[in-house]
Amino acid sequence: MSEKNQNVGVYICYCGGNISDHVDVEEVRNRVEKMPGVAVARTEMFMCSDPGQEMIIEDLKSGKIDRVVVASCAPSLHETTFRDAIKRAGSNPFIYEHANIREQVSWVHHGDTATDKASVLIASATAKAKLLKPLEPIRVEAKKHTTIIGGGVAGIKTALDIAQKGIEVTLIEKSPVLGGQLNNLDRLAPFGEKASDILQELLDQILNHKGITIHTDCKIEDVTGYVGNFSLDIVTKPDNNNINKKITIDTGAIVMATGSVSYIPFDGEYGFGRHKEVITLKDLIHILKENKSSGTALEVNGKRIKNMVMIHCVGSRQIPGIHHPKENGQLNEYCSRTCCAAMLNASNQIRANFPETGIYEMYRDIRTYGRGQEELYNQASKNKVVFMRYDADAQPEITLGSSSDYPLLVKIKDSLTFNEQMEVPADLVVLATGIEPDDVSDLASMMKLPIGTDKFLLEVHPKLRPVEFPITGVFLAGTCQAPMDVGEACNAAGAAAVKASALLSKGYIELDPFVAQVDMDKCQGHGACVEACLKEGALELTEVNIEGKIHKKARVTAAMCLGCGACAAVCPEKAIDINGWALKQYEDMVDAIVSDGFAA
Amino acid sequence: MKTINKDKEAKKTAMKELRGLRKNLIAAASSTMKIQKKDMAAIKTFLKGEAATIPEISARIDMPTDKTLWYMATLKKYGQIIEGEKEGAFFKYSLNEPEKTQEKAEA
Amino acid sequence: MVSTHIKNFDTLVVGGGIAGLQTALDLGDQGYRVAVVEKDASIGGKMIRLSKVFPTLDCASCITTPKMSAVAHHENITLFTYCELNSLDHDGSGESQGIKALITQNPRYVDPVKCIGCRQCEYVCPVHIPDMEQGGLSATKAISIPFSNAIPQLPIMDIENCMLCGQCEKACPTNAIDYFQKPEEFTITAKTAVITTGFDLLAVKDNVQYGNGRIPNVIDSLQMERLLAPHGPYNRVLRPSDGMEPDSIAYVQCAGSRDKSMGVSYCSRVCCMYAIKQAMLLSGSLPLADIIIYYMDIRAFGKGYEQFYQNAKAMGIEFVKAKVARIDKGENGSAQVRYELQDGSGIATTDHDLVVLSMGMVPGWNPEPICPVSKDSDQFITSIKPKISPVLTNMDGLFVAGAAAGPKDIVDTITESGSAAMEAAKFMSKSLMEN
Ligand SMILES: Cc1cc2nc3c(=O)[nH]c(=O)nc-3n(C[C@H](O)[C@H](O)[C@H](O)COP(=O)(O)OP(=O)(O)OC[C@H]3O[C@@H](n4cnc5c(N)ncnc54)[C@H](O)[C@@H]3O)c2cc1C
Ligand SMILES: Cc1cc2nc3c(=O)[nH]c(=O)nc-3n(C[C@H](O)[C@H](O)[C@H](O)COP(=O)(O)OP(=O)(O)OC[C@H]3O[C@@H](n4cnc5c(N)ncnc54)[C@H](O)[C@@H]3O)c2cc1C
Ligand code: SF4
Ligand code: SF4
Ligand code: SF4
Ligand code: SF4
Repeated sequence: MSEKNQNVGVYICYCGGNISDHVDVEEVRNRVEKMPGVAVARTEMFMCSDPGQEMIIEDLKSGKIDRVVVASCAPSLHETTFRDAIKRAGSNPFIYEHANIREQVSWVHHGDTATDKASVLIASATAKAKLLKPLEPIRVEAKKHTTIIGGGVAGIKTALDIAQKGIEVTLIEKSPVLGGQLNNLDRLAPFGEKASDILQELLDQILNHKGITIHTDCKIEDVTGYVGNFSLDIVTKPDNNNINKKITIDTGAIVMATGSVSYIPFDGEYGFGRHKEVITLKDLIHILKENKSSGTALEVNGKRIKNMVMIHCVGSRQIPGIHHPKENGQLNEYCSRTCCAAMLNASNQIRANFPETGIYEMYRDIRTYGRGQEELYNQASKNKVVFMRYDADAQPEITLGSSSDYPLLVKIKDSLTFNEQMEVPADLVVLATGIEPDDVSDLASMMKLPIGTDKFLLEVHPKLRPVEFPITGVFLAGTCQAPMDVGEACNAAGAAAVKASALLSKGYIELDPFVAQVDMDKCQGHGACVEACLKEGALELTEVNIEGKIHKKARVTAAMCLGCGACAAVCPEKAIDINGWALKQYEDMVDAIVSDGFAA
Repeated sequence: MKTINKDKEAKKTAMKELRGLRKNLIAAASSTMKIQKKDMAAIKTFLKGEAATIPEISARIDMPTDKTLWYMATLKKYGQIIEGEKEGAFFKYSLNEPEKTQEKAEA
Repeated sequence: MVSTHIKNFDTLVVGGGIAGLQTALDLGDQGYRVAVVEKDASIGGKMIRLSKVFPTLDCASCITTPKMSAVAHHENITLFTYCELNSLDHDGSGESQGIKALITQNPRYVDPVKCIGCRQCEYVCPVHIPDMEQGGLSATKAISIPFSNAIPQLPIMDIENCMLCGQCEKACPTNAIDYFQKPEEFTITAKTAVITTGFDLLAVKDNVQYGNGRIPNVIDSLQMERLLAPHGPYNRVLRPSDGMEPDSIAYVQCAGSRDKSMGVSYCSRVCCMYAIKQAMLLSGSLPLADIIIYYMDIRAFGKGYEQFYQNAKAMGIEFVKAKVARIDKGENGSAQVRYELQDGSGIATTDHDLVVLSMGMVPGWNPEPICPVSKDSDQFITSIKPKISPVLTNMDGLFVAGAAAGPKDIVDTITESGSAAMEAAKFMSKSLMEN
């Protein structure tokens, strides 16, 4: 490979001020222009915009350049943008290198330091670019099959959507029934549909769909493989003959829809567990669903309720230093999103059907954000629900009441009435317990899925890739990601389904070619690389027949290789290297960084 | 050659017609343009002497401050004026000399 | 010839905001041929005009441009910008329930094939007009490219303000100026359509309580986005009346929302979060300024939003529980905010250098009489199955996503768009199977 002939084009972005406010972009351009191997150096307001991309395309087409360096934001944002532009110019998309002069420079340094560092990073990227070779993406066969984990509303909707596109689906549910949280709900906020009707409509479709296989009451033991070719081992619960069935599912993509559970208050939280009159929202919904009350007041355990107090944000919106963390140190700092509307929905039902049951709602903020939800709030005011507001650092207190009619007394500093201390006698207290993710740490560690500090599964980027994991071929939908209501969970399901369908529709998948490659001439079959390899199945020693003699040689399974370079680091013969990230490239990058010619 | 001339003629007549059709709009636009030209010239002439803030300029050339700022933002965008030091709560503006015409104009 | 201009696609997407772009990409990636019809001169919708976006505080341009560019270069997607939708309905009767749309291409007075986007025409044009892309706070020319990362990079001529001086034509290196361009009508037929026409803010000029837009230094939230954007009208935050760097900035929440008498009765859903975001960005660029948010409830419900809100409080942004009753002109360019404290302690007034109105959101498009799709009492397009599939409308094969189906932030818009693309794809594979 000739090292001298490469003509690098360097394109430096202003990022509309994000970069140019701190980096003297024109000065960087002047320095870059003089660097060895640089054929052109240009600047632009937004490199990712069409005029920016056109510049690269024109230079490539006119033959001025044959390697591209873009200096702009983090490559995670725009790598594909520029690769596609290069493809449009008819060139190989892998002749491109990126210098991150925003996150790594302008957002953290100012003035001359910023300008110098930007120059150095570009010098090093240019040094690397000179040694870039055209590469071909790795093509792997993909099984036209998706596995959905979790059979709540999100899982069911994802399964139906994908199956209706002609892709086979397996749905795995750990409990004996499908439906998840929907099984616990009654009338849904804000429009009052019956949860059971919604569920039935979905079940009718899914149970009759030939393309969908359902396994309930089972556990996932192992997940192996890679995009297009995953394999899941599941075991079913022991049946009547005490036999657990083991099943292996070969699948092209996986969707996590493992949902959420209701927060359970700790012993004594607002009197929970100490007074039988303190219940959760889930309990209240259950009571309304059973509907055993007759007459004009809500009846709970045979008792007519006269004054019920509903406390919002229990187990949600917790603030460090104010709220008690759980034993594992976890604080639920997030808002559970669904409880405000669900509380008001329950209040309205009670006020409409049981006019003798009075209701006090004690809240921090009423979050009826969604379509049809503000009406619930207005309706509750019309229904004479009394609203009282507390601050996070002055939570209502539950004490024993003095009369037998009202076993409890709720004390609150009401910020709607001059922050006065108020006392409300109550015979029922309902805690708006929020949503917590179901524990899927086992699955997460099997598949290396990221979990956020809030303990929910973490997507790649909330706007750019909201239903994807960094592990290609694994998606997420519904409340395993964050609290959502049913409609939002179904939207997320549709979004995950559309990504999975697009991924599998071609029957094959193209992966980045940044994987290990063995130089067969140099390899002596030491096997040091195989020992160092981090990914099972990515690298092995095989016997090759060369001119009648059997030699041991290392062989890479490209689709499995992580491209981490652990092998390259240990090979005594320097016979194995990473495409696109070769040792020589690193050396040249380091040389460029330490040679002090490029800073001021 | 002849056809080109003919085309030119045709275009000329068509333009004339169009001008006739848009007479009122054109008149309004021209008068706006003339005022703008005068206003901006006044700002630039004043700035030839010294850098100044919006209230200073506006007081001197007798133009409302919001209008002065509107022009200033525009002149800056098209590269004719640059922003300088801050004085109190206001920035000073000065002519971009040598006036590089519209290089690196931003939208 | 004009009226027989028929173009055929699998899906017609109406509206090229982030919802439309995401829908088009999710369909195009599955091999469907998509037309995106946008009324503005550029795609990108509100999002490309924002500064940074909550909750991650990414720069809006940086995450919108790649989507815009991906759509523009997608082999299965065709863009029609600066177009007017005249009608949208089922095509024919009975069996073949396709979609048919009549569209007018508005004249730019520039030949899109010849133009290379060099902006020479804009530089030479002598007429300045308020740049609405910058909230009217600075000027552009009678012929101009809307903004630097617009797609497509084509200027539009504003003939209302053009004096036909001929300078642009002379300056144009490619002879692309065409003073005689006419509107062109064409028809799009498709199997499905997705409505992604987004939202508009309520106009300040309609609110007498806020001074009908006549009080200096009272601006709406989209104008504030421009002030905060990296290439905004002033390249920094100044108050529009005199260029002063503001020392005290107030946010009026639920401006026109949650109160029918002020505008609309529903909650506009994103204004709490964008006000907090803007306040944070302001306290970054003006560390000494006092920033006050007058609010009734803070609705920070999404993933990471509550934490964002708590961070803002920790940064020293002041949250006052109060309903703003009216705004008056104060002294020295200030605006006087009169508010009712929610703790019952009465009415108070405070002067601020700059007041930002978090105006409520209304639909960006009224289907009447263009399309028979039904609207709800909130005037947004009706979702017939808000639980199982919020993107379904009462018209077969016609779906809705994003703010066209009710106020929504970007995160929720993007997932809903994926969902709409999925429903459209299902609809098309279903009709394929039936045929
Ligand atoms: C008290 C309360 C009231 C609510 N009220 C309303 C309302 O009025 N209106 C509304 O729209 N929404 C409401 N919601 C929200 C609604 O319940 C959720 O949006 C919806 O149920 C979420 O569905 P999901 O599929 O994401 O999760 P889930 O319903 O939790 O389903 C997840 C499924 O995955 C299974 N699973 C978990 N882990 C595994 C594993 N490792 N392997 C296999 N399977 C697994 C679970 O068993 C479960 O069946 C309420 C929520 C609560 C808590
Ligand atoms: C001040 C402000 C700040 C915000 N900040 C944030 C933030 O930080 N983070 C966040 O998540 N969200 C934010 N949002 C919300 C965000 O703007 C919306 O979520 C998003 O723009 C919705 O996208 P959309 O595509 O549905 O609608 P829009 O962006 O409104 O796009 C609709 C498109 O359709 C076009 N259109 C309309 N009618 C027609 C027609 N008849 N024919 C053809 N085309 C038509 C319009 O021209 C437009 O291009 C903010 C909103 C505001 C007002
Ligand atoms: S939805 Fe309401 S009750 Fe639930 S956590 Fe959020 S603010 Fe609290
Ligand atoms: S002809 Fe019109 S658009 Fe062109 S330069 Fe003159 S005024 Fe501007
Ligand atoms: S001068 Fe001509 S080519 Fe350049 S942007 Fe204007 S119309 Fe297009
Ligand atoms: S989001 Fe906040 S500011 Fe906007 S209408 Fe709702 S409560 Fe009011």
